[in-house]
Amino acid sequence: MITKEIIKGSFRDPSGFLYKENGVLYRQINNAYKDQYLKLIDSGLYDYLVNENLMVAHIETNLIASSEAYKVIQPEFIDYISYPYEWSFSQLKDAALITLKIQKIALDYGMILKDASAYNIQFKNGKPIFIDTLSFEIYKKELPWVAYRQFCQHFLAPLALISYRDARLNNILKDFVDGIPLDLASLILPLKTKINPSLLMHIHFHSKQQSKYSDNPVDTSKMKIPKNNLIALIGNLENTINKLHWRPKRTEWGDYYNATNYSDEAFNDKKALVEKFLSKTKTKFLWDLGANTGVFSRIASNRGIKTIAFDIDPIAVEKNYLICKNNKETNILPLILDLTNPSPAIGWGNEERDSIKQRSRPDTIFALALIHHLAISNNVPLASTARFFADLSKNLIIEFVPKSDSQVQKLLATRKDIFDNYNEETFENEFAVYFRIVEKERIKCTDRSLYLLERLD
Amino acid sequence: MKKIIKNGGYTLYISILFWAILICPAYAYLDPGTGSYIVQIIIGTVLAASVTIKLYWKKIIHLFTKKG
Repeated sequence: MITKEIIKGSFRDPSGFLYKENGVLYRQINNAYKDQYLKLIDSGLYDYLVNENLMVAHIETNLIASSEAYKVIQPEFIDYISYPYEWSFSQLKDAALITLKIQKIALDYGMILKDASAYNIQFKNGKPIFIDTLSFEIYKKELPWVAYRQFCQHFLAPLALISYRDARLNNILKDFVDGIPLDLASLILPLKTKINPSLLMHIHFHSKQQSKYSDNPVDTSKMKIPKNNLIALIGNLENTINKLHWRPKRTEWGDYYNATNYSDEAFNDKKALVEKFLSKTKTKFLWDLGANTGVFSRIASNRGIKTIAFDIDPIAVEKNYLICKNNKETNILPLILDLTNPSPAIGWGNEERDSIKQRSRPDTIFALALIHHLAISNNVPLASTARFFADLSKNLIIEFVPKSDSQVQKLLATRKDIFDNYNEETFENEFAVYFRIVEKERIKCTDRSLYLLERLD
Repeated sequence: MKKIIKNGGYTLYISILFWAILICPAYAYLDPGTGSYIVQIIIGTVLAASVTIKLYWKKIIHLFTKKG
């Protein structure tokens, strides 16, 4: 039985659409886009971008998905889909820079990007890569860049907000599917950004002009920008983005590993146990929940396991990503995630961008030094946590942190202890509803125990 | 010192230009295209012009340092 399913988020561009058939992802190129596609290939732009690992490769097929089809291509598969509101500052910055790099290269080949959305970028082998093959159109002499506004909203505005205000503002991208509106960014950014000529131009001035012309449509068909001026504009955007830095003040988790209560012996024992338990599973894809800077994630990724290192703290994710880049790691992708409020499905019909649960699920989850934060800090019942993990993954390597532990004492220090059922026995009973205990061992020099759980299927 | 004056002067020039434009009253709602096209064209022109000014500044300063 052939099953064809159009990807619901793929409807805005009339050039084509994505669909899945028998589990394989395809992209149909419509007749309307034929000339552009031929130019992309014949000019050599496609080959150059693919060879430089800037864009995903594809295979041409003989398939047809609808009457408008010119051609159907099968693009390279991306292991894990992530979205800009899950990226740390440097991930978003690198995504911005690769977009501009591709734009400059495209212009050299007589083409130009017709959109500059952050959703055109995904991470592959630890690095950003452009995935929208149909985003190129033939450059028409002196025509203004139609995607300039989108670039400012998807990239420049959120980066400036993180840099000048707070990393949590990146969450606003969840509420605005076409990037942060420039008038909102302009409102939130501090006065000193008005003294920075580039931010003044691309955000504040840009925002004012948008508002000014909103009620006064003007004939834009005769507007021209000489190619050199456009190149100067793109160069300026590139310099502006390059000069944005994020030097955060200390967060709760910033110096986590220096401030925990593990002795060296305990820490090493935990690492050894995690490694031992992991080797008893058949894991190809792993999620490390509450990964911090990825110390334990790397136990998996260094063994060739594709690993997503989720953490709520943007600083930890940022540090993790920078380590990734520095060591040129390919098996680990750090992402920001609040487990108590994971990324929802958003967009038109709540179907354009998938929720965390709708995306690929792992074989194994690490829930190390995590359970007490869910149970105590966030009042999530153990039964509910067990069900949540069971829904996501077959294998679970989880650390139970009892009340006697100094970290839990800290959490209870400022609140009433209403957690009568927070103990090892209840933990084991609640998790036994969904899992069987394959292994359990006490971590040396601590009151904590590490479990290897396997879902009852 | 010369570099500070030169870079400071350039920054000041651009900032004054845009402050002047910002003082115009803003109207209500967002438009996807027109404003962004206009901004692009202006910024592109200013940037290209500023390259010329930079060269010009260099010549002026060079002229003064030669005389002095």
